[in-house]
Amino acid sequence: MRIVVAHKWAADPQEAVVGADGAVDWSRARPAVSEYDAVAIAVGRQLADASGAELVGLSVGGPTAAAPLAAKAALARGLDSALIVADPALAEADSAVTAQVLAAAVTELGQVGLVLTGDCSVDRGARLTPAVLAGWLDWVCLAEVSAVRWDPTGLSLERESDGGWQSLTLSPPAVLALAAGAVYPPVPGMKDVLAAARKPIRQLDLGQLGLELIRAPLLLAAAPAPAPDRRGVVIDAMDPALAAAELVARLSHDGLTWEGRP
Amino acid sequence: MTWINYVIATGRPVEGLVERATAVGGGPVWGLAVGPAPVAQRLAQSGVERVVWFETAADVPAEALARGLAAQVTARPGLVWAGRTAPERVLLGAAAAALRAPVLTDAVDLWLEDDRLVARQAALAGRLWLTLAFDRPVAILLEGGPAQADQPTRASVEIVAGPALTHPLRQVDWRPRGGAPVDLKAARRVVAVGRGLKAALDLGLIEALAEALGAEVACSRPLAEGLGWLPKDRYVGVSGQQVSPQLYCAVGLSGQAQHLAGARTADLIVAINSDPDAPVMAAADYILCGDLYQLVPALTEALS
Repeated sequence: MRIVVAHKWAADPQEAVVGADGAVDWSRARPAVSEYDAVAIAVGRQLADASGAELVGLSVGGPTAAAPLAAKAALARGLDSALIVADPALAEADSAVTAQVLAAAVTELGQVGLVLTGDCSVDRGARLTPAVLAGWLDWVCLAEVSAVRWDPTGLSLERESDGGWQSLTLSPPAVLALAAGAVYPPVPGMKDVLAAARKPIRQLDLGQLGLELIRAPLLLAAAPAPAPDRRGVVIDAMDPALAAAELVARLSHDGLTWEGRP
Repeated sequence: MTWINYVIATGRPVEGLVERATAVGGGPVWGLAVGPAPVAQRLAQSGVERVVWFETAADVPAEALARGLAAQVTARPGLVWAGRTAPERVLLGAAAAALRAPVLTDAVDLWLEDDRLVARQAALAGRLWLTLAFDRPVAILLEGGPAQADQPTRASVEIVAGPALTHPLRQVDWRPRGGAPVDLKAARRVVAVGRGLKAALDLGLIEALAEALGAEVACSRPLAEGLGWLPKDRYVGVSGQQVSPQLYCAVGLSGQAQHLAGARTADLIVAINSDPDAPVMAAADYILCGDLYQLVPALTEALS
């Protein structure tokens, strides 16, 4: 059996520069394996060791997804091998398209019992890709999973839900999106980085998958988000009691009341 | 052709989403209720034209019915609307794949124009606004929540059974975490705390302030997901809760774009932080630069 971790080579949008015309400059941003994906890889490693499965990393994206650094960074985190679908047509892919291509690659790979993902991608953060991927595969999907245990009869899961802890069982195949805090992913050491250089990397051509990609929405306009319309009143906080009194007075003036506790 | 608007409900209030679908969708609004009977009964009174009910036993999570829901929407395609909780997202994703539909997330505003759905989308953690035009069908992830307007009590509409196609998934146990689940979206005041808090025990300070303000306690992501000091339903941000309170008091919280995007629509933001250069300071109405361990008790005192 194979366990696939779907991960993304992406930069933090905080590091992008948004121009006055809405153009985005990513040149100063450095892509990385996001911390959420590292969680999925770490959980995948544990499950692969427990079940004897092969742990395959699957990354879908624009040409940067095929950079040697991208695959090695993910492999150093404990994957057995890497599968990459990189194509200019996927550079701006949203959840719908990414999920469609991931599903086709999982099918092409074959013998996959489980797909793991992080909570969300760092760049888009839509938290929908695992759900749409499971839809394409017609597999069961669960999100915000905080623990997974493998046993021969199926999978046992834990997650936080409705203010409590839920224990679940399911039969593979399945797509699981892991909670960001499921594990603390270890930082790869020199040995892991060296081992990564010897692990197999395979590229799949998007054309080979024979997909008619979901039509992206038409972009009509882009603009920087309007600056928050905030007052920016600085209250001198040298004396905490005076500062507190001034804040309460200002909030009261704004119409907030403290009796009756709305 | 007439496009159906499907609104997915798994137990959380979706009246607000039904309102948006009715106002924007340009077609009849149907409810897709996934869960035990009360989920369908509530949805039947929310303003939808009819309810398709995917009944689940008490030990079957809503996600198990994704297959039936997908079959329903492909039988008569349309726009599918769902909120942001884990089961709502899974069901929406199943519908999107079944319809081969594009997905719309993080919409700030949306409307119909020339028979297309046009949306203003907050991209890049809320820093960039894109205007996008979608051909239907579309899968729309949008904060639902309670109704915006005062709604009259409605007569219940017809409830029909949906296709019973399930995935093999069972809940074997559920243990309360302690403390009732919180609906931050409904809170009129919120006190949010970040990494400026040194220890979990110090949460008492924040809780006292929240009580004096009549507010709910919220936090930034690291406190809920890394440190686990607060439950996840109290974390505000792009991937957490998105709130619109009258007052948002950010305490010891730097205010990264990913966090502030979750509180963007608060009426008033108060920032209490020792770092004058923290991003939250530039996004606040009232700024108190100093030690939260002195300022928070002083504020609690001033309120009581």
